[in-house]
Amino acid sequence: MTVLLDPTSERSPTIRPRLPRPERLDGLTIGILDIAKSRGDVFLHRLGDRISERGITVKHYAKPTNTRPAPLPLRQQIASEVNLVIEGLSD
Amino acid sequence: MPQNLPHDGLIAIVKRDCPTCELTAPVLGELARRGGLTVYTQDDASFPETVPAPVDDTALDMSHRLQIEVVPTLIRFEGGREVARTYGWDRGEWERLTGIAALGQELPQARPGCGAKNVEPGVLERLKIRFNETGLKSRHIEIGEGEDEQEAMYERGWSDGLPLVPPSEERVLRMLDGTARDPQEVVGLVPPDIAPATVEKVAINAVMAGCKPEYLPVVLAAVEAVLDERFAMHGVLATTGFVGPVVVVNGPIRRRIGMNAKGNALGQGNRANGAIGRALQLVIRNVGGGRPREVDRATLGNPGKYTYCFAEDEEGSSWQPLSVERGVNPDVSAVTVFAGFGLQGVVDQKSRDPESLSRSFAESLKAMQNVKLAPSCDAMLVVSPEHHRTFKNAGWSKARLYEELYRLCEIRGDDLVVGAKGIAEGGPSSLAGKTINKFRPGGLFLVRAGGDAGMFSGIIGGWSAGGPRSSLPITKEVRT
Amino acid sequence: MADLEARGIPTVGVATTEFIEGAAAGAKSLGIDPALVFIPHPVQDRTDDELKKLADDHLEPILALLVKGG
Repeated sequence: MTVLLDPTSERSPTIRPRLPRPERLDGLTIGILDIAKSRGDVFLHRLGDRISERGITVKHYAKPTNTRPAPLPLRQQIASEVNLVIEGLSD
Repeated sequence: MPQNLPHDGLIAIVKRDCPTCELTAPVLGELARRGGLTVYTQDDASFPETVPAPVDDTALDMSHRLQIEVVPTLIRFEGGREVARTYGWDRGEWERLTGIAALGQELPQARPGCGAKNVEPGVLERLKIRFNETGLKSRHIEIGEGEDEQEAMYERGWSDGLPLVPPSEERVLRMLDGTARDPQEVVGLVPPDIAPATVEKVAINAVMAGCKPEYLPVVLAAVEAVLDERFAMHGVLATTGFVGPVVVVNGPIRRRIGMNAKGNALGQGNRANGAIGRALQLVIRNVGGGRPREVDRATLGNPGKYTYCFAEDEEGSSWQPLSVERGVNPDVSAVTVFAGFGLQGVVDQKSRDPESLSRSFAESLKAMQNVKLAPSCDAMLVVSPEHHRTFKNAGWSKARLYEELYRLCEIRGDDLVVGAKGIAEGGPSSLAGKTINKFRPGGLFLVRAGGDAGMFSGIIGGWSAGGPRSSLPITKEVRT
Repeated sequence: MADLEARGIPTVGVATTEFIEGAAAGAKSLGIDPALVFIPHPVQDRTDDELKKLADDHLEPILALLVKGG
């Protein structure tokens, strides 16, 4: 284990702050990523339908397998096609 | 290993890899036979063979605790306290300290000792870290075994986009050797977060930037300079314009740390130039919290925001160095920070007299930011040695050239008004009929730098042209 | 999630309450603070209708973490 000294002002309690969020969802595209654990698809598709009802564009994606991280091409595709992501369903 | 020091008795610290320690082996044996001597060995617990049970101090705990610098060291304890010590071999000293006469009769009178292992380069830092004596206060960030150090630093947002040197405790301690200043001394408050930059925080960012410890005093001076209120660092950071701090170094330190004032001085390839400028940017980013597309709103920015630092070419110049022009003693090293951007090249391979060359410079200067804007902004003109020679041969001092350039940068107000030259940008109609200078008084700065061959000089554009919200160049002396 | 945020895409994760500790530990070791919404465990043996209701019930908290102030 390596110990490094913090070069920052140490103001943030967490080390990597979350990305800033947009003011509103209008006009944005939300990606929904199914991490391929069972029954998650039903939950996530319902979320997608409810969000679409609000006029927000939704795109669905799925990991090929739950046991490994999402493949690089999938991550790149998501990053280039959407503004925000909902990822689930972990248990 | 016994951790307790003797209440009354002798301690010797030795290492096998030391001819003087080898020399004293018989004496140590004799002292051991008489009782009351404990020998700690730094490298091989079977040394010296003359002593029945030398104590293994290969971890150097006892050596560190006793602050040993030379081996052999012989220490006398009385009443639980150290009362005397001697190092190296000196018969008189050893006899005095032990109270025993005729020690080591067959040995020479005296022989100097060797460096102790616990103060070898790097070892002392590791011991201080192990014993929590570093005096460092920054939060520890643990990088797990499975994590890649570089990715971990990127993910935490510490990087300017390029790889960083991981700031381990050892590296930071070594960096702090480059200054006598206390690590907890606050150098200034960094915008936009108004967070205190301690010497320690500057050192951490200097490690990440790739600085050597001897560069640290220059980095500290540059940080102090940009945190001077008059430099308006927050404005410089937050602008939609192009600028970042440009650092010009003057004085003896340039050569001592191997900076580049000559060929490609504003380009890549010199560690001191590159790392000092970068350290300053990392302090702004990491301590101040100033980052692109957050507080930093630059539309384009400029590549100098990675690093922009060079040394002035003072040797053989007929001109005062920039620092001297600004009031610093020529024997003293100093940095000047200037809110600047890019480099606008000025090519002039034909002018043979100072008048013609001045006009080349002036025409280029007048185009800065926009031909229609005046006063536009401050500017630093970096004059190459070949161009400087034209002025030197004609006997033109810096003052003379400044005077000429200001004169040549007067512009007809009619050419500046909105709409003139078919360009909407420009000044109000009240400028018509007046003469306006491209620069505010004191807005031009001349430095000499560059390779000896090449009739190319450069203009580093500034940000503002004076007034309450502008940035002023600041000069600070380099303190060790 | 960390990868997508690193690519500039704000992300919210949905997990069951079973995952709370695991999420905390993972976050700590990566030095991140992920936006997470927890739904009651278990999920595997729920009917489609029950899952749809869970989605409806948690829609607002999920969306709230995707906008400023969330």
